[in-house]
Amino acid sequence: MSRAGRVAAETRAAWYAFVRRRTAVFFTFFFPVIIILIFGALVRTDPTGGGLFTEPPGYYVAGYLAVVVLFTPLSRVGSEVARHRDGNRFEKLATTPLSRAEWLLAQMLVNVAVVGLAAVLVFGLVVAVTGAGVAASPLVVPYLVAGVALFCGLGAVLGRVADSQDGVIAAANGVALPLLFLSRTFVPPELLPAWFRPVVALSPLTYFARGLRAATFRPPGTLATYRTGDALVGTDPTLNLAVLAALAVGFFAAGALAVPTTN
Amino acid sequence: MVIRAERVRRRYGETAALDGVSLSVGTGTVFVLAGPNGAGKTTLIRALTGTTRVDGTVELFGKPPSEVSGERIGLLPQEFAPADRLTARELVAYYGGLHEESRDTDTVLEDVGLTETADTHYEDLSGGQKRRVCVGTALVNDPELLVLDEPTTGVDPAGRHELWGVIEGLAERGTTVVLTTHYMAEAERLADRVGLLADGRLVALGSPAELLERHGGADRLVVAVDDQGAATRALERAGYHVLPDERHLAVGVGPEEIPAVVETLADAGVDCERLTWRQPDLEDVYLALAGVDVDPQELSEPEAVRA
Repeated sequence: MSRAGRVAAETRAAWYAFVRRRTAVFFTFFFPVIIILIFGALVRTDPTGGGLFTEPPGYYVAGYLAVVVLFTPLSRVGSEVARHRDGNRFEKLATTPLSRAEWLLAQMLVNVAVVGLAAVLVFGLVVAVTGAGVAASPLVVPYLVAGVALFCGLGAVLGRVADSQDGVIAAANGVALPLLFLSRTFVPPELLPAWFRPVVALSPLTYFARGLRAATFRPPGTLATYRTGDALVGTDPTLNLAVLAALAVGFFAAGALAVPTTN
Repeated sequence: MVIRAERVRRRYGETAALDGVSLSVGTGTVFVLAGPNGAGKTTLIRALTGTTRVDGTVELFGKPPSEVSGERIGLLPQEFAPADRLTARELVAYYGGLHEESRDTDTVLEDVGLTETADTHYEDLSGGQKRRVCVGTALVNDPELLVLDEPTTGVDPAGRHELWGVIEGLAERGTTVVLTTHYMAEAERLADRVGLLADGRLVALGSPAELLERHGGADRLVVAVDDQGAATRALERAGYHVLPDERHLAVGVGPEEIPAVVETLADAGVDCERLTWRQPDLEDVYLALAGVDVDPQELSEPEAVRA
């Protein structure tokens, strides 16, 4: 079997293993839905007033997508590493031609499919619930792929470091929550202390949210998408994508190395 | 030579999991590693398959394990638990799909006796059926070297016999098989050679017949009596060799001498409650060399594993 054949076999098995866990499937899609319903329909944005949600609804689409790109691969791959280790599956895989990078690539492909479906759901729901102005951009696809690759790699590292499935979930939450709120997703940088704002640039999710927002958010009353010239790479969607892609390669490589070859 | 290991050592902290183990396994051989829990069997399996680092030399097909193609090896790890929402058929096909060439999935399922339950999710199978699926995933690439870590643990006697048949069939076709087991009947039936591990050391190595000859001891009559002291004195006076045992009286005699032993005890006024005559088997070798203290009367009881 060729490399493609091995990855296809692993992807197929990982896909079936995921979609047959009804609870996991339900909550994978329920999570972004409930976030949108809470933030978009209950709390609502208030562009004219103060508070947390001061931007138009379309501003937060990148944040909603960041939720699925961050949490789904991080927790799924981390848990999968722990599950494989508990079941001595890595020991068996080590005696097959499947490499660690191929294993992680297969997990990534499953997550790309899951996150892609969740993204369609997010876009549809945001438009339906909040009437957000969203521009269709072909850059959404590479952003989602790069984001998933990056957090699959990080998930594999967490799975390697944590000694149990419970540990993976705790570690994933501990990493994901600060990233989620300090990466230009839901909290505009102006609301953060000036001394803290440079730290935001250290989060890989910042490049995802900032670039994707620039590619998809159309502020009310304008035809152009959202662009400003702040920070190192500004809000140019291509430059942010380039940084995100470079980070994704690094995190994926680190993740592939972190995938255990033994138990 | 398929496997060559020399002075293999592995420590976990202060504990020596493997302490200078040397062995070799030839092509087409069924080699059984036996030993109590914690003896180092799984660590040795991991050393042989290159999934743990050890000191010393390990070679598969003349190369370090890390340089050997996964196409040539089939492994069933101990306590292996594959994805539980995949069916038996999907699991065998999945592991087959990781190799350049694999056997027909249905044929593998037939070999391990799972044709009827091929489309049942792994989590819904019985313990024995699960283990048979796991064995199937190790066979699917038709490996030159098949390594099975406790393949029949949890498998019922009928299922165990089916798996033994599968392993024997593979060995007849030239597959080299290394397996670990607690079941000495399994070793006796399958093994061309047996290695007995205890405390990380290989304490015996040879064919079952050689081990029995060297370490099995004499045929024995185990006698349960109401007065062991009086019985011992009577038998020794009559010239019988009473074997040392703290809990039962064991006499080194052949079956033809049983009536005379009974008569000697009756003449001494000792009541025999139960008599069991048995030849030594690999279990005696195991118990003697592994230093396990077991009631010989219990050993003489028919066990499921001896079916």
